[in-house]
This record gives sequence, structure tokens and C-alpha cells, in this order.
Amino acid sequence: MKPAPFSYVRPSSLAEACDALASDPDARVIAGGQTLVPMLAMRLARPTLLVDVTAIADLVGIQETEAGIEIGAATRQAHALVSDLIRTQVPLLSKALPNVGHPPTRARGTVGGSIAHGDPSAEIALAATVLNATIHYRDGDEDLEFQPDEYFIGPTLTAAPPSGCLTKVVFPKRPEGRVGAGFQEIASRRSDYAFASAGGQVVLDQAGTCVAALLGIGSVGDVPVAIDVGGLVGTRLDDGQIAEAVAAALEGLEVVDDLHATASYRKRAAARLAFLALVEARDDARAGGAAA
Amino acid sequence: MNQQNNRFISGNRRVREDRRFVVGKGKFVADIDIPDMAHVALVAAQYPAAKILNIDPTAALAMEGVVAVLTGDELAAAVNPLMNGLDTPNVKRFPLAVGQNRYAGEWVAAVVAETRALAEDAAEKVVVDVERLAFITDAEAALEPSSPPCHPEHGSNLLLDRTFDWGPVEEDFARSEEKLSLRVTWGRNSTVPIETFGVICKWDPWSEILDVWASIQMPKYADQIARSLKIPGNAVRVHYDVDVGGSYGVKRGIKHTVLCGYLARKLGRPIRLIEDRLENMRAGDAHGPERIFDIDVAFDRDGTVRSMKIRALDNAGAYAGRAPFQLGKPIGAIVGPYQIASVQYRAMSVTTNKTVQEAVRGFGQSPTNYAIETMMDRVADHLGMDRIELRRRNFIRYDQFPYEIPSGSSYDSGDYHTVVDKVLAQANYEDIVAERDRLRAEGLCAGIGIAACLEPSGGNSSFEPLLNENNRTSTWMEGSRVNIDALGEVTVAIHTTSSGQGHETLAATVVGEVLGIDPDRIRVIRPDSLGSLPGNSPVGSRMAIMLGGAAAGAARNLRKQIVAIASHAMGIDPSVARYEDGAVLAPDGRSVGWDEVVDIAHRRFHDLPPDTNPGLTASFIQQVPTGVALPKDGRVQMYPCYSFEFHVVLLSFDPVLARPEIRRYVIGHDCGTVINPHIVKGMTLGGIAHGIGAALLEEFVYDGEGQLMTQSFLDYLMPSSHEVPEVEIVHHCTPSPLTEFGQKGSGESGYLGAPAAISGAIHDAVRPWGVQLDKLPIRMSAVSDAIAAAQEKGNLPNDH
Repeated sequence: MKPAPFSYVRPSSLAEACDALASDPDARVIAGGQTLVPMLAMRLARPTLLVDVTAIADLVGIQETEAGIEIGAATRQAHALVSDLIRTQVPLLSKALPNVGHPPTRARGTVGGSIAHGDPSAEIALAATVLNATIHYRDGDEDLEFQPDEYFIGPTLTAAPPSGCLTKVVFPKRPEGRVGAGFQEIASRRSDYAFASAGGQVVLDQAGTCVAALLGIGSVGDVPVAIDVGGLVGTRLDDGQIAEAVAAALEGLEVVDDLHATASYRKRAAARLAFLALVEARDDARAGGAAA
Repeated sequence: MNQQNNRFISGNRRVREDRRFVVGKGKFVADIDIPDMAHVALVAAQYPAAKILNIDPTAALAMEGVVAVLTGDELAAAVNPLMNGLDTPNVKRFPLAVGQNRYAGEWVAAVVAETRALAEDAAEKVVVDVERLAFITDAEAALEPSSPPCHPEHGSNLLLDRTFDWGPVEEDFARSEEKLSLRVTWGRNSTVPIETFGVICKWDPWSEILDVWASIQMPKYADQIARSLKIPGNAVRVHYDVDVGGSYGVKRGIKHTVLCGYLARKLGRPIRLIEDRLENMRAGDAHGPERIFDIDVAFDRDGTVRSMKIRALDNAGAYAGRAPFQLGKPIGAIVGPYQIASVQYRAMSVTTNKTVQEAVRGFGQSPTNYAIETMMDRVADHLGMDRIELRRRNFIRYDQFPYEIPSGSSYDSGDYHTVVDKVLAQANYEDIVAERDRLRAEGLCAGIGIAACLEPSGGNSSFEPLLNENNRTSTWMEGSRVNIDALGEVTVAIHTTSSGQGHETLAATVVGEVLGIDPDRIRVIRPDSLGSLPGNSPVGSRMAIMLGGAAAGAARNLRKQIVAIASHAMGIDPSVARYEDGAVLAPDGRSVGWDEVVDIAHRRFHDLPPDTNPGLTASFIQQVPTGVALPKDGRVQMYPCYSFEFHVVLLSFDPVLARPEIRRYVIGHDCGTVINPHIVKGMTLGGIAHGIGAALLEEFVYDGEGQLMTQSFLDYLMPSSHEVPEVEIVHHCTPSPLTEFGQKGSGESGYLGAPAAISGAIHDAVRPWGVQLDKLPIRMSAVSDAIAAAQEKGNLPNDH
């Protein structure tokens, strides 16, 4: 379990990183390395050049801008987990982050790395899909933007340009009204790759009526998917209404089968978790949400 | 834990090994640096079975830093095949595949280079031309005469098929009021130490000695290396002062060591092979039993279980090794803790194109206990009887010991009813039942699991002559030596490596007890194998009994010498002298102290009794208690001592998500006199964690192409600290009449009953749907899918 030989650079600017990536078709970005390093060790990935982006100051940090809440690609998951800005402005991501790996892996793993890897069970990718975050790349001199539904193509497969460098993920700001979020996942061990995961966000008006409802399912198929539960708008989000909406919305859900969990299990688990996530979101909103 | 007036034994005393491990100062194989060492990486077979047409090392050898490439043909021409326990001479095994490979991942060639990284780079450049052969992975299919044989020279895949009839089985079946049949399957799992296997071999041509530093837990290790390498036994020097980072059976390392020993001699350089996780999991000694049990049981309506017929079919993997013996050891406790009058046992072992099965904690006992306990649950279910009541009704009673079971083993002692009473009382069993019912009322699946089982301990190898008539082994000893030096300090020598069992604490404690001196003052050393007394290493839950017995025996001999010297000095007969805390007292009140005896022994030959050797040293070689006879008529005394454990577990899960949460775990444990309570507690807790893995998570799985799907911890799932609950341990002590202090073994405790208990709890939880999950591990999706299928058929939970 020693990696095949490779070169390594650790530039301090985005321009240098892009030059390095453009210089070698088999170059790869490395950030926290929590997924890539084991893949290198097992020789499942064999890049000839690793471009370490963790020393690029522009890629680290969380800030509020006109566009939304911007999270630099090389921001550590552990930092995002304790960010007040994320907690108050992106409550769904805040609820997803404790499920990402374990404390030691979050200490090195980055928000951008989790997105770029494109694992269908990645919690950050699911939150980005539910909230329709914008994924920003720099490719040479060019800035590119992707929405999750066009970015995630298949298991560990994304629409990222081969020589591009993920720079930031921009999450929409917290909507007006009483916002609640819920995140649920199931795996055979805590924080393992989930068999199914669900993220939900609802907005209630002052009277307690649903004015917006979002849902996404991860881990069960090739990519995290946003699920249309717009039918819940205008309801009181009773358990029965949620159950009915979830059952209808998940009818055509595509699921995979593997050693650890059957497709039929994943399908039922997804429905159960979707229900639980929306109930959690509703209760969260009723309780005042993750109020700013 | 302690029924005698022992001073140090059973005391709340520190485990002396812990200090160096906690601060990271253990000395493991990977910490040993020998100048000029070269490193090995392996070329692994791609297919489960393939004829090797050609191996081309040219490109690898052309790389800078590459020293050599070794093929199976070259190695097989120079060494003897590895030891095979059964009488199957045509099932030959070498460290590298010869002619054909027999499982995916099998080592086809070894690459030696200046660094391990270079060796791995070069291993990729070795070109192996093969012709694929038919393969087989399923044990049932391997029984078919038409199945593709793993060893064509052997003629079939059948390694072993022996049927034992102990007692009037057919009569008992005919007499019984009820019968039922069941099939349960133990999935291929193992123990997975954090340290993979590692070895360094260094050949010195001027002294003609092969020095070996290895991460081993292996009986007869040095002998097997010498035999295979065709060098004298006293040309192999194994260094036992190497810490082993976990084992529980799987640190065998024979093939690794023969490979490195050959390379060290051939290349004239020290050779190191430390498996990486991939090599370990697919081609090391990493896999344990994989077994199908078919059981018929005959019983009466009052719950009396009269007889059983068990067919155990084991999937040994590609070679014989010692794996088939794991069907033999459980014969020593084939009726568990129950008075079952007769048993038929058919032990079958087949080869398949999977990784070779090796020894794992319990040596086949945990799968057998799982089968017996599942059977007891089914019988209770069939009769509508309480599961604990059924067990109590069949338990051997306290006043029946020693109790000879149908297969010929005599159980030494036990008090099963009392342990169960204690557990139920201390755990507030009614509360557990109430909690289960409360959880069910909340809409969760909730169940209680029960398991009672034995841990045969004090390992001998009676299963070898039982399953192979050409094997005449009845000796299975362990030796120890105790010295008192000229300054009066005590040193105990133990002659094995340890993989976390705390043997240094064990030896110091028992010697301190016998000599009446503080164990912390006693030094424990590990001479190399050429300076060692004979022994058989820590297998078969034996060292508390065997090393404990050997060290205590040596200390007793030494005490006799001290008494003789002091008595001579006082002019009294030794028989009237009394030994107390290192001093010898005469009836008239005079005494001779420790320092005086040491001075006489080491410096004053003129004061020694006649015909007395100078110095103070004693050895003792302990044979396994009761180990006096070879098998007769298919019956034999297996291990001498029998520890008992009783598990109660409560778990619950959502009927759809089905992830079990263990809410209570209580174990009653009786291993006789406990020598060190911290060590026994650690064994038990670790054993339960291990059992949770076997029950729910861990399995080496092969796909339809014969490829191992679970090659890393990504897919071979072990319980983490999140999945292992708090465990409550209820102690009881029924001393063994056969051992020095009444001690029995505990190295397998917890693991031997936990899989059965957890499986039982899951069945109790899904009983409302009439679901049976007959294969371990019981995966979450299997539970959820079974419930969903039952619901679709209209089986609604009826007692929720």
C-alpha cells in the first residue's frame, strides 16, 4: 500500500495551481486527502502530479456576500462545523456536517474536497443539492459555475473541467420566514458511508403554514438528487401530509444494490429518512428554527 | 474471583505490560531495524484459479533498487512443503503458488528491493502469463464429485469427512417426543489485528543461524521453519522479545517466514516482509471459519433435550493448513453446558478457491456455540417455553461435576444455575423485559438475546490424533524457569511471544504468590527459542493454566531448594520447616532469611546441603492437565478446564432502518480463580466487541468471479467504539480442581457467546413477523427486507 510514484507541488496562489494543473493531464488536486490518499495507497488513483491547494489563502474561509454564503474550497470541514455563519445562514449544511466522517477526518477533510470527489453518499454534496448551491471553478483564466444537478454526473464523476480547480461553494442565504432543517442518514456504523441519506428544509409563515419545502436524497443512487416536494406548500406539514408527499415523490427513485445494503432496503430507508428529515425540519421551524 | 486466601492473585494490580504500550514504547517487528535490510512485496494472483504459464521478471529486475524476483518454482525446488495437519499428502502448500494458483490474491512471486515502496513498484512490472481454470467458492458445491478440484492431484475437494456417534443417538431420537431441524451458517470472518503480520529473517553463514523476529502466535513455529527450510532445528533462532500487535489466532506466519528465510539465505541479506492490509486480508493468515451447520434435535415436551445430530461443513479455502482441526476442537464441548445424552457429529471440510482459513479465537468453538444456542432457542420456541427456563432445565448441575460428556471429555467444574441466578438478579431481568416491552409499544423492534456457553481452556491438541490417526501427539506442554540471582532478585523466563494477553503480569503474579514476594520486584524475560524450554505458545485459551502452572511449578521447586538450604543451616529436617514471605522458619522460632539463603546458594558451597547444586534456579514443564491418553473409539479428553459464560442482551431497532442499538449487555462469567482481573475484563469486553462484529458486521465476501469484495476496512466492517455498548460483567468463581490456583482460561471469553446472544435478540425482536435470519453476519438490510417481505405476505406483528 505505497502509492505509485508522483510529483507534488504546493502553490500559494490560485494562478500557480491552475498552471500546474494545466501542465499535466494526469495532475490532480489534493486538499485534505482523506479520500485521495487511501486511493493512492491502494493504487486505485495514479496521478503523476498532485497539486496541494491548502496553502492558497484565497481558497480558505467562510464569508457572507451578496451572492450568499461563500465557503472556500480548502476550508476544513471541522472549521465549517463550528462556523456561526453556517449555523445561522445554512442550517441544513450545519445539520449535515456532524455526519461527515469522524473528528479526525474532518480536521483535514475540506468542504471543496467532499464536493469535488462526487461520492453519492457525501453529506455536503447532498446539502448543496437540496439548497442548489453554486459550485465555482477556475480553469486557466476562466471562471466557471455549476449547479449541483449538472455537476454531479455519476459515482465519483463530476462535470468539472479536467484542468480546473474548485474555488468555492456558494450556498443561498437563509430564506425569510421560520426556517427549519433536518438531516438523517443510516449506515451500519456511525459516520460510515451511508446506505441512504435525506436532507430537508422547510419554511413556515407566521401562521405555521408551509411556504417552501425542499428535499434531497443521497447515497442510494449514482448522485445526490433533489426531490420535488412542492406539493407540501400550503399545508400544515402534518405527519400524514409529509408521508404522503414523500411516498409520491420517491416513487421513481433510482437505487443501487451492493454487498452491504440491498436496493429494496435503500428504497425503503430513503423514504423513511425523507419522512424523518422533513418532520425534523418542520419541528425545527416550529421551534423557531436555527434563528439568526 | 478468588476463593482462596491468595495475596497477589486476583488482586487489583496493574498490568505491567500496559505502561510500555500506553506510552508507545512497545517493540514490534516494524520497530526493529537491521542494517542492510531488503524488503519484500508480493505479486498477487489475479484470478481465483489459473495455471501459471510463465513469469517474466525482466522489467522488474531492470529497475534500480530491485534485488531479486522469486517464483514458486524456484522456492518449491528448495524447500519442503508447509506442514499439513491432515493425512492429505497431495494437498501441498508452499509460500508461493506452484504451477497454478488457487485463490485470487494468492502470492505468485516475491519481489525484493531496497525499500518496500520500490518493491511494490517492481511487483507491478512482473508479467505473469496464465491460463484461467474453473473455480469454486461454495462449500456445498465443492462436495459434488464433479466440482473443479482445487488440488487435482488430491482428486476431489473433500479434505475431511468423519462421522462420530457418541451414545445411543438413534434410540434417543426414537424415544423423544419432539424433533426439529435447523440450518445456520457462520459467515467467514476473523480476528483482525491492528498490526498485520511481519517478519525479519537474517542468516549468518559464519554461525549458521537464521535469526527470526516475527509477529507470531504459533505453536511449533521454529520447528516448522527449520523443517521447511531443511536446516537443523538449532539453526533457527526465534526472538521472543518482540511485541505482537494483536492476533487471536491469525499470526501464523509460516509461509511468510519460510519465504523470507529462503531469501535471506539466498541473498545474504536480512529480509523484511511486513504485510500491508491488502496482502493481509486477501492472502495473509487472515480468514477464520466459514461453516454451515445442519442440526436435527430430539427433545421431550418438558424441555429435556435428549440428542442431536450435527453436520458441520467447513469451507477451508484453498489449502488444508490447520483449518480442518477447527472442526475437531469443539468436540470437547459439543453439548455445551447441557446434559445431552447422545450426539452424532459429522465433520466435513472442503477446499474451495478462497483464501486459506486459519485459526481464530476459539478455534471453531464460537460458531459451534452459535449453532447450539440457536438450536436451544428454536426448541424453546417450538415448545412455547421460556428460553432461560429451557436452558436451566438442561444444564449440568453443580453436583454432577466432574461430568463426562458423550464425546469423551470430562468437564472439570461449574455452577451454571448459580451464574444464571446471579445475572438475572444483578441485571434486574424483569426490568429488561419491561424495557423491551416499552420499546415495542413505541413501535420499535426490540428483543432479548440469551446465550449460555463454555470456553474449553488449557489447550492441548487432542483434535489432531482424533482427526488424523497418523498423528500421535498427546504432549502439549509449556515451560518456565525461575532464577534468584546472587543479589537476591527474582527473574522469570517465559518462552513465547505475547499478543496482548499479559503473560508477564501472569508469570510475575503466580511466582510472587508462591514465593511470597511482591510481583513488581520480579523481572520477566523472554529468551530466544534456542535458550527456551519447550512450549506451545498462547493458543487454546491455555496460558493462565499452562504458563501459570509452569511458572508456579518452577517457583515451587525453587521454594523447596530454599527450604532445604535453610533447614540444613538450622540443622532441622526440611519437613518441619515453614516457608513464609521469603524466610524459612524452624518450629523453635529460629529463622533463616532470604539474603542468607541467597548467600549460601551463590557463595558458600561449604554451607550447602550435600548433593546440592549451587545457585538458585528451577524449571518446570507443565503438561496439560488430564492429557494422558490418545483418542479411543472416537472419544477423547479434549481441553481440561471449562469456563462458563451467560449472556443477556437487549437491543432495539426501527423496523425499516433496522440498525440495532444494543441497550443492555450483561454477561455472567466464571473462569475459576482470576489471576489478574484487569486482563480478564479486557478479554471479555474485547471478546464481546469481536462477537458483535461476527454477529452483525464482519464478513470476507467473494463475488461471483471469485474475487474478494471485502479487502479493506472500507468493506470489512468492524464495530467501532460507537457500536460497542457498555457491558456489565457479573463474576462468579468455581475453581478448577485441576489447576494450581483453580484458574481456568478466559482468552476467548465474550466472543464465544456474543454472536449467539445477539442473533437471539434479533430473532426475539422480529418474532412477531415469524422471520428467521439463519446466517451471520445479520446485515441490517436483511432484517429490514425480511420484515418487509413478511408484511407484504400479510404477516402482521401480533403481539406488539
